[in-house]
Amino acid sequence: MDFRWTDEDRAYRARVRAFLERELPADWAEISRHGPGSREQTEFSLEFCPKLAEAGLLVPHWPAAWGGADRPTWEHFILGEEMWAAGEPRGAQYMNVNWIGPTLMRFGTEAQKRRYIPEMAAGRAVWCQGFSEPNAGSDLASLRTRAVRDGDDYVINGSKIWTSYAAMAQHCFLLARTGEASSGKAGIAIFLVPMSTPGIEVRPIPSLIGHGDIHETFFTDVRVPVSARLGEEGQAWSIISYSLANERIGIPRYEFAARVLDRMVEVLHARQAFSDPLIQVRAAAASAACEAARLLVYRAVDKRARGEAVGAEASIARVAVAEADNAVTDFGLDFLPDTFAGLDHPAHLAHHERAIVTSIAAGAAEIQLGLIARNWLELPREAS
Amino acid sequence: MRFAPNEDQAAFLAVLDQLAQAPEAAWKPAREWERFDWSAELDALLERNGFFDCAAEETLGLVTAAAMTYRLAGLPVLVECAASSMLRPLCAPDLPRPVAVIEDAGRPAPFLPVARSAILLSGEGVRAAVLGDGAVETVENIFAYPMGTLRRGEAGFRPLDADPATVRDTWRVALAAEMAGCLKGGLDAVVAHVRDRHQFGRPLGSFQVIQHRLAAAATKIEASYFLVLKAAQSRDPADAALALGHVQDASTRIVYDLHQFMGAMGLTLEHPLHRWTYRARLLRSALGGAGANYRAASARRWRAA
Repeated sequence: MDFRWTDEDRAYRARVRAFLERELPADWAEISRHGPGSREQTEFSLEFCPKLAEAGLLVPHWPAAWGGADRPTWEHFILGEEMWAAGEPRGAQYMNVNWIGPTLMRFGTEAQKRRYIPEMAAGRAVWCQGFSEPNAGSDLASLRTRAVRDGDDYVINGSKIWTSYAAMAQHCFLLARTGEASSGKAGIAIFLVPMSTPGIEVRPIPSLIGHGDIHETFFTDVRVPVSARLGEEGQAWSIISYSLANERIGIPRYEFAARVLDRMVEVLHARQAFSDPLIQVRAAAASAACEAARLLVYRAVDKRARGEAVGAEASIARVAVAEADNAVTDFGLDFLPDTFAGLDHPAHLAHHERAIVTSIAAGAAEIQLGLIARNWLELPREAS
Repeated sequence: MRFAPNEDQAAFLAVLDQLAQAPEAAWKPAREWERFDWSAELDALLERNGFFDCAAEETLGLVTAAAMTYRLAGLPVLVECAASSMLRPLCAPDLPRPVAVIEDAGRPAPFLPVARSAILLSGEGVRAAVLGDGAVETVENIFAYPMGTLRRGEAGFRPLDADPATVRDTWRVALAAEMAGCLKGGLDAVVAHVRDRHQFGRPLGSFQVIQHRLAAAATKIEASYFLVLKAAQSRDPADAALALGHVQDASTRIVYDLHQFMGAMGLTLEHPLHRWTYRARLLRSALGGAGANYRAASARRWRAA
């Protein structure tokens, strides 16, 4: 048990930080204000990610054969912390790096890997995730979008909702039902669908998160070849269980929260308000929540780094991350109410905007509690 | 960054876990329905085999002592581990054990009636004394520890050559380990109960409200455990105060929920739940409680700000 960073880890972090300081443009605060899913930030990512790729800072943990450098999982995570804390200049492409690329490498055909992975490794691909539907949110296994086999093609009909990045994405990682309507988890398959395919329509949904971040996506007689299917029919659930364990801990939100908390304390110091014992207690409580979230995420990353499957540890980490974000937000609301509008620093506003999102994106925290109860505490399933 | 124990730590904890399965460590009603079950046998067995000296071993360290304290605090029987394994190596390796730690000489302290020595944290510096016959007055209490006061107050306590701030910080981590272990012991017992106990025609543990609250408790306890381990390893004063503040802050809600789901059974002395929950309640006030410990963390964390 060793909870210290090695000298190499620290040097790596310094290198990433120096790169960001050097390469992020002067108006980055203005661009990132719109949020990682915005058109502004997505366009920026298509310029910035190729630079990261060139510097070996986009997919260092991927195998060398696929454009990476076989670097340790921990470096990937340090990279993620620095990117998120800087406002996520990778935009939506963080998803490629964290889970879409690795999922394709593990389950894709050679042709699929060759088609999609080099583009991701070069920083030129934006994907969206076609999971939720109007009647299948937390109960994802009840999704109704259908993919019907027609010769060498599938014809897809249905709709997806709350899809992040859809308006700017070139590809969709889509879940659709190939089995009977009642087939549940066993009747779902994954399709890698170009968003330019005829029959796809995207409508933005006004949201709390940032400009143009979530969408409705309609599929009307969308025809894709059988070769667009990832894995076998019915294999989707086991594939996405693997992917989502990575996604749940994919965004190091505690790092941003901890830095916003530090900034808030700086402001309170400057205003000579930090001598108030109540403020000191609440600041430490928020800091404890951030550090708790950090350690619980690291525990899951450590398992992954050792090549072990990550299960309920990811759900435990997600719940702690949601609590940390809320603790920092509440601290700001209670003791720096005048920073609501982000007048003091754009990070404050971004944090306020994201705190509620944290507990919903990648699976509501309450759903995670159910997963913890069943998979960690081994409590019996609720009677139906 | 490595969460898995090294080879020596893994072997140490595996043997410890085996001992924790021994008959001496199992639940049995205490003599005359006492609130605690002091296991002199298990305590002596662990001492004889050198467990309490692990912090001094280079490949084990204080982090292993913290992991041991957490595990032993989760047993239904009581042994004295936190002070012996985490504080004694730092400031008085030769003190006979069990060791009681006294925050304030006027207040009853856990373990005093079974202790052979005591470390006193109040006043100037850190002092210690070997306890002779008749030095301790036992105090009846509900908190599931043998507790007592010093008959002769601070007389006989001699200064130790140790930095008081470091001793206090290490004691914070030790208390946090003990408290998190108590909550884990209680959680495990309640989880086992709600898996088996049927009401309304189904296991209690299948009710979503119970699942979610126990999952939330498990999340807080896991967080507390890792905050403890990190603090034990970093020896950073801010980490130490944060670890104790966090578990003290979390404990009230967890204790409340554990008792809710154990119902009337948890009000009897025929089930050990009270041993963990009452200890946790007592430790909630240790070293000034969550407020004081969080303030200490704040002062250290943002001193330079």
